[in-house]
Amino acid sequence: MLFNLTRLTGWLLALLSLPAHALTIFACQPDWASLAKVHAPEAEVFSATTAFQDPHFIQARPSLINKMRQADLVICSGAELEVGWLPELQRQSRNAKVSPGGEGLFFTTDYVAVLDKHDHVDRSMGDVHAGGNPHVQFAVADMINISQALSEKLQQLDPKRAAQYLQAGEAFRQRWAAKMLIWKNKALSLKGKKVVGYHATYRYLFAWLGMTQVADLEPKPGVSPTTAHLTQLAKLDPGNIYAIVYASHQNSQAAKWLAGRTQLPMIVLAQSVGGNEQSYDLITLIDNSINLLLAKH
Amino acid sequence: MKVKWLINAVVMGCSGSVFANTGPIISGPDVSVVLDGFYQDGQRAFSHRDEGFGLGHTELGLTGSVDDKFRGVLTGIFESHHGSTEIELEEAFIETLALPAGLKIKAGRFLSEFGYLNSKHTHEDAFTERPGVYRALLGSHYFDDGIQVSALLPTEFYLAVSAEAFSGKKMDAGFDDPATVGVVAGKIETGSDIGDSNSWMLGLSVLRNGNGHMQFGEHDHDHSEHEHGGHDHSSHDHGEHNHGPAYTGRMLYGADLTWKWAPQGNYKYQNLRFTAEYLYLDDLYDERFSSLDGAPSSLSGFYGAFVYQFNPNWSVSSRYSQFDHMSNHDVHGHGDHAHGHFVDEQLKEIDFAIAWHSSHFGVVRAQVSQQDYLDKRDNIVSLQYIMTFGAHGAHAF
Repeated sequence: MLFNLTRLTGWLLALLSLPAHALTIFACQPDWASLAKVHAPEAEVFSATTAFQDPHFIQARPSLINKMRQADLVICSGAELEVGWLPELQRQSRNAKVSPGGEGLFFTTDYVAVLDKHDHVDRSMGDVHAGGNPHVQFAVADMINISQALSEKLQQLDPKRAAQYLQAGEAFRQRWAAKMLIWKNKALSLKGKKVVGYHATYRYLFAWLGMTQVADLEPKPGVSPTTAHLTQLAKLDPGNIYAIVYASHQNSQAAKWLAGRTQLPMIVLAQSVGGNEQSYDLITLIDNSINLLLAKH
Repeated sequence: MKVKWLINAVVMGCSGSVFANTGPIISGPDVSVVLDGFYQDGQRAFSHRDEGFGLGHTELGLTGSVDDKFRGVLTGIFESHHGSTEIELEEAFIETLALPAGLKIKAGRFLSEFGYLNSKHTHEDAFTERPGVYRALLGSHYFDDGIQVSALLPTEFYLAVSAEAFSGKKMDAGFDDPATVGVVAGKIETGSDIGDSNSWMLGLSVLRNGNGHMQFGEHDHDHSEHEHGGHDHSSHDHGEHNHGPAYTGRMLYGADLTWKWAPQGNYKYQNLRFTAEYLYLDDLYDERFSSLDGAPSSLSGFYGAFVYQFNPNWSVSSRYSQFDHMSNHDVHGHGDHAHGHFVDEQLKEIDFAIAWHSSHFGVVRAQVSQQDYLDKRDNIVSLQYIMTFGAHGAHAF
């Protein structure tokens, strides 16, 4: 009996005493999971979504609640992108560290010069975010800033590995800065090009490359394409437009319909890291997106 | 002196206005409104949605953080019933935000965690009304004044438990001296994913109602009418109709399963949701009534519902539900014994609905229900809209 009790106590202690593990990181998008892995190679990183899921429509399901319960750090885009599910996960996971006001909550849009902010938002405008466009995985120039802030956040949460985070962050920013020069040069011919998009998913990439999305397959943000709206778009002068661009997780019907009418080429980009085989981290995501934009037929 | 005061006032005034313009603003509570209107050409059993035009669950909700430790929720309900507007406080609770060890405490008035549908607001439902067994045993949704302690266990998989204690007045079968803490309930829930496309959740619930033994009035009451509800609420209702359950017992058990599918987990364009629940009501009354002719020892019911959203704007749903119960024929107590008898009854419903989603915030629904009850078949057609504006809270799984 006594023996059993000692064993049981030992067992309980083993269960309770956690090993001195690195951080557990919950990312709302695969892009931030990828960024977290680069900045904290020893951390356990989990992505709540994949590149094939619309980040506005995620279920606050049991598996995600349980993952968030274990998180030391939650990295999301913010600017209301995850407003339909993140608050529910925070409430149900009962993890104060990563709840609003908690030190383990990190929104990347906080470190980006956010585009398309609105002073006044009304739902009749569609699914417009007052905080601006949240699809900042393509905010190429701001990634340096995000990296800097993330590196500092990691050092704050896990001071023992501070040196490691500092070094990893600096290495990433160096690589990224070098890549930015290459991308800019490579994509020179894209400057001034006009495209038809689907949602404002690539707003930041287009802005950085000097491209403009002159029309959207969605009649209003978040509102699915309608025949009436597409008929209007079919009247656009195809000579003026470079291509129709949409994302890996989006329905291709509307783009195909318009392409059939206008003979415009279609380009399917990855929405996020993992959206196609070539985009396996943030650098290759931008690499691949620029390649695909250049390689239109 | 006066001049100095004046200068001070001006400076204060200026700094005040500067603050108001540029300083951080504490955001007010989130205000949400749900508008629910309907027309139907019949009335379902155990329902308080009337035939004809009416307002269903019109909600006005306020939510906000109290501080870093508490959050508060207030939800008022407006409903039309027999030509008058009823106001009911559905939720008025505080909950903790920062307890350690995965604990959370809720206190005030709130929806019980019992079952799957019960803790959800009716505006999330895919049908105009909850299934018959829910209407009869929970009054569509059971909320009450009480306290809840819940915990998310530190397991590798999702495992959540909750324990609740309520006043139980909404489920009081009509006792003259009801227990102070009438209802205690508990729930255990688990769930997970299968690949990217499938997610599921399973729950087991139990509810003990100390005031649940059904009452049928004593001999001096007039019971010449054939009654379908279990008990006599006249002593507590003061003539108002009752939103509580039609049947109570001492023990209510529930099992629920929810399955959701979306291709690659992308819920925007297409998804399928399935929910089934089984409810079992046991220990219905004291020996006087349980020994009567035809007295069942338990009642039970279930439903299974599919919702298929086939594009961002349209969804179809279908549901089968059944509730096995009894009607009482002149049952009444007579001191230490009782008279009358019970007859087995069954309510069967098949519902089909098609819904147009104008956006994430608006739904227009047409529903056809076939109800088989008391040897009669009724077809009920309902048209309904549910629209929300203001803040829109995230939905649970």
